[in-house]
Amino acid sequence: ACDDGEVVIKFSHVTNTDKHPKGIAASLLEQRVNDEMQGKACMEVFPNSTLYKDEQVLEAILQGDVQLGAPSLSLFESFTKQYRLFDLPFMFKNINAVDAFQTSEAGEAMKGVMAKRGLQGLQFWHNGMKQISANKPLLMPSDAAGLKFRVQPSDVLVAQMQALDASPQPMAFAEVYGALQTGVVDGQENTWSNIYGQKFFEVQDGITETNHGIIDYMVVASVDWLDSLDADVREQFLTILEEVTVERNADSTKVNEEAKQAILDAGGTVRELTPEQRTAWVEAMKPVWAQFEGDVGAENIAAAQEINAQN
Amino acid sequence: MHHQEDEPSAVGRFIDRLEENAIALMLGIMVILTFVNVIRRYVFNASLIWSLEVVLMLFAWMVLLGISYGIKKNTHLGVDALTNVLPKGPRKGVLIVSALICVVYAVLLMKGAYDYWAPFAGLDVTSGRWFPTGFIETRSRAFMETDQVPMPFFLNFLADLINDGDSYSKLPDFVPYTMLPFACALILLRFVQAFIKVLRGTQHTMIVSHEAEEAIEDLTATHKQGT
Amino acid sequence: MDVVLLFVLIVGMLMIGVPIAVSLGLSSMLFLLMFSDTSLASIAASLFQAMAGHYTLLAIPFFILASSFMSTGGVAARIIRFSIACVGHLRGGLAIAGVLACMIFAALSGSSPATVVAIGSIVIAAMVKVGYTKDFAAGVICNAGTLGILIPPSIVMVVYASATDVSVGRMFLAGVLPGILAGTMLMITIYVMARIKNLPKGEWQGWGEIFESFRDAFWGLMLIIIIMVGIYGIPGLTGAIFTPTEAAAVASVYAFFVATFIYRDMGPLKTIDGQRNLTLLDRPIALVTAFFHRDTFATLFDAGKLTVMLMFIIANALILKHVLTDEQIPQHIADAMLAAGLGPVMFLVMVNIILLIGGQFMEPSGLIVIVAPLVFPIAIELGIDPIHLGIIMVVNMEIGMITPPVGLNLFVTSGVAQMPMMAVVRAALPFLAVLFVFLIIVTYVPFISTWLPTLMMGPEIIVK
Ligand code: NA
Ligand code: NA
Repeated sequence: ACDDGEVVIKFSHVTNTDKHPKGIAASLLEQRVNDEMQGKACMEVFPNSTLYKDEQVLEAILQGDVQLGAPSLSLFESFTKQYRLFDLPFMFKNINAVDAFQTSEAGEAMKGVMAKRGLQGLQFWHNGMKQISANKPLLMPSDAAGLKFRVQPSDVLVAQMQALDASPQPMAFAEVYGALQTGVVDGQENTWSNIYGQKFFEVQDGITETNHGIIDYMVVASVDWLDSLDADVREQFLTILEEVTVERNADSTKVNEEAKQAILDAGGTVRELTPEQRTAWVEAMKPVWAQFEGDVGAENIAAAQEINAQN
Repeated sequence: MHHQEDEPSAVGRFIDRLEENAIALMLGIMVILTFVNVIRRYVFNASLIWSLEVVLMLFAWMVLLGISYGIKKNTHLGVDALTNVLPKGPRKGVLIVSALICVVYAVLLMKGAYDYWAPFAGLDVTSGRWFPTGFIETRSRAFMETDQVPMPFFLNFLADLINDGDSYSKLPDFVPYTMLPFACALILLRFVQAFIKVLRGTQHTMIVSHEAEEAIEDLTATHKQGT
Repeated sequence: MDVVLLFVLIVGMLMIGVPIAVSLGLSSMLFLLMFSDTSLASIAASLFQAMAGHYTLLAIPFFILASSFMSTGGVAARIIRFSIACVGHLRGGLAIAGVLACMIFAALSGSSPATVVAIGSIVIAAMVKVGYTKDFAAGVICNAGTLGILIPPSIVMVVYASATDVSVGRMFLAGVLPGILAGTMLMITIYVMARIKNLPKGEWQGWGEIFESFRDAFWGLMLIIIIMVGIYGIPGLTGAIFTPTEAAAVASVYAFFVATFIYRDMGPLKTIDGQRNLTLLDRPIALVTAFFHRDTFATLFDAGKLTVMLMFIIANALILKHVLTDEQIPQHIADAMLAAGLGPVMFLVMVNIILLIGGQFMEPSGLIVIVAPLVFPIAIELGIDPIHLGIIMVVNMEIGMITPPVGLNLFVTSGVAQMPMMAVVRAALPFLAVLFVFLIIVTYVPFISTWLPTLMMGPEIIVK
């Protein structure tokens, strides 16, 4: 618990504390803040949606009822449409390209775009690259036609599924396993760690390694709260947060590789695409870019592609 | 045991019908929207992407609106085992205290509801921790939108009214949240009315009574109809 | 220590006749204002999100509505006729048929009081007529009605699933075997009592009546099939069609059609008692008017009113839960219990005691919202199956429903049987003993709860 006089930093998130990349990062942050900022600040983490779901945490941050959150980038739609860049299919070649973009000038600028609406982006946290799975083998994009896919409620992801002639279905994350198992929906898209953590592989025919998108989170606080902190407290806290980010993001590839291996060990099927198949997926999904270019900014798309070329 | 002594006036009956029909209509729309979505998905492989969010909104609206109706009709559950064995004098005292507690609840809830809603309407929240003592300048949250609910054209005036002219691409959160202060105001009104009736001696409990014969008959009739 | 004050506040307010919802909500607000930095606005947000943010809880209004159409529309009466045809000829047959009818109705309805009202309002009077005492009749139905929340679908299971994020579909499956077991135990008890006390028995009406009554009840019974096939699919034939929440909505629509257009005991095709109800051919416009008929609106409104009553309590229980979480109280309790070296057996005993005491004062769904987050993490840590824990909670809630002072089933039984609450309490007592034995069995034989869901849906995924 916190001592008198310490700045209380409540951090609400929706995953477990020890298996999910976000949960692990949050636990590490909690530990370091509580060890190193004795007498100045203390952090309380509320995992597993016990306090707020990600859909509500931004309101709670603006309200001042919690100080930190790390919702998925799809949930900032009201604040900025720029983050749609990260939902666009095949925008980034791999997680290193994502990393390079986020730490580039364009990425740094993105953290500040919500400031006029009261939120300050602090750090991007990786989950990983998205794969796609269904109750039948998916090798060509036409295999997905006519299937029902659970997606996060985002216009981009809806458009992406429509580009495949598939039917996007919004659904609470907790319902997905049961819905896949019983066939209410046919498939879903997620990172290896989510597919393993939620055991989706048990109830799907197989997972196709498309790396077609990313799931990332933005650690955010309210501008007013940050301004209210003493300069040295803010400085130290942001430094710790940055160090935790670098450490955990570097590990995210490993976490996902381990999850993929664990799926294989548990008897799950993983399908890799030939270059031709991959090209077909890119061609089917990439037209979505044009639809959202105005939202995300042509210059951001250009910057992302430049980084892809280097990585 | 006791009959409600004041007969509802014509206006009172009209408002009753209005509230009852609103509750029935909202539940009906919730069911139909959900059902239609099942059919669309299973038969046509399509979905109304906004329907779930609208259904949840109506669910919140129906319950919030229904609470004040329930207070008016004294249908909320409670424990009367102890108050029933009290002698008449203390019983009245305890009743007044319990009615007062309900009013305090409604007052605090009203402040909370207003403070929660105000930024979404571009208004300032109240200062003071327990009771409003004034207003504090507040950053507007009027830009916040629902996830998937389309913006109906006839609400486009809201952009100028609360959002500095920035147009909405989805229905703003302001719309569903407006039920909160409205319903809380009704809850406060009904609890204050109940408190006054208690003081006057025309209301004898704040909860649905387990022993009152006619309450049982009422409820049985309801259950024969409903549940 | 602060927490003790919180619970003293709640119990104190309950005792002086403050509505349950207000007791929970105001205590939470006072606690929050005194001991934390969190604002009143967050309370209002919790109140709104209790509905808008809980997709699973949507099943509550829908299941209540389905059940309303079922009892208004004459389905209950047809189920009773079928039950009597099956077991009415045994010694104590009408009482046994009452239990069977409660079990069948429970498979259509998500609520216990609804089951008592639907079956009790017909069976109790019938039992008294053929020579049972009113006490015996009320006691039987009051108890058997509790199966409404154990046999799926179940509102209380929906609330548990929502509070802990376990699968609703799994919980429903888990209730099937315990539900049948509890019903059977009750029927055997009645049969034994009937032999000893020489209670009345009915006439064997032959296989013809069984067939005939089944055919008459068929459209109502189909709802069980629709719900089960819809949620779980038929292996090899079709996948599932809807989520449990959607199942509830589909059930409502189906029940509306059966009641209005097939049985025609409500809506535009109903005629005064004694006359043959009209058919759609007589009045085709009914296809349109049925949706706006006052019977339809009345049923919608009644279901809405009951939903409001339950959700007002649940929403305020969620406020309390929010405050407890904000103060990290579940974590402290879990740490303390695990530090004390509590094993699974003692832990389950404690859960039973907490729920049995809580059940005396609280409405079941509200109690689950508060207690589940407190005990769930510990249970997972101790390796207890979350589905098993859920069934234990449901059975405790069943007992809570037939024990004073807050016992919804007692309340409605005293209504349908026209007898004082305390008389119902005494009448329910012998059968309460059966439920207690059943609780012990369910608590210590997890297999009964977990076998069916594991068989149909694979091993539980929420584990330590
Ligand atoms: Na049931
Ligand atoms: Na009780």
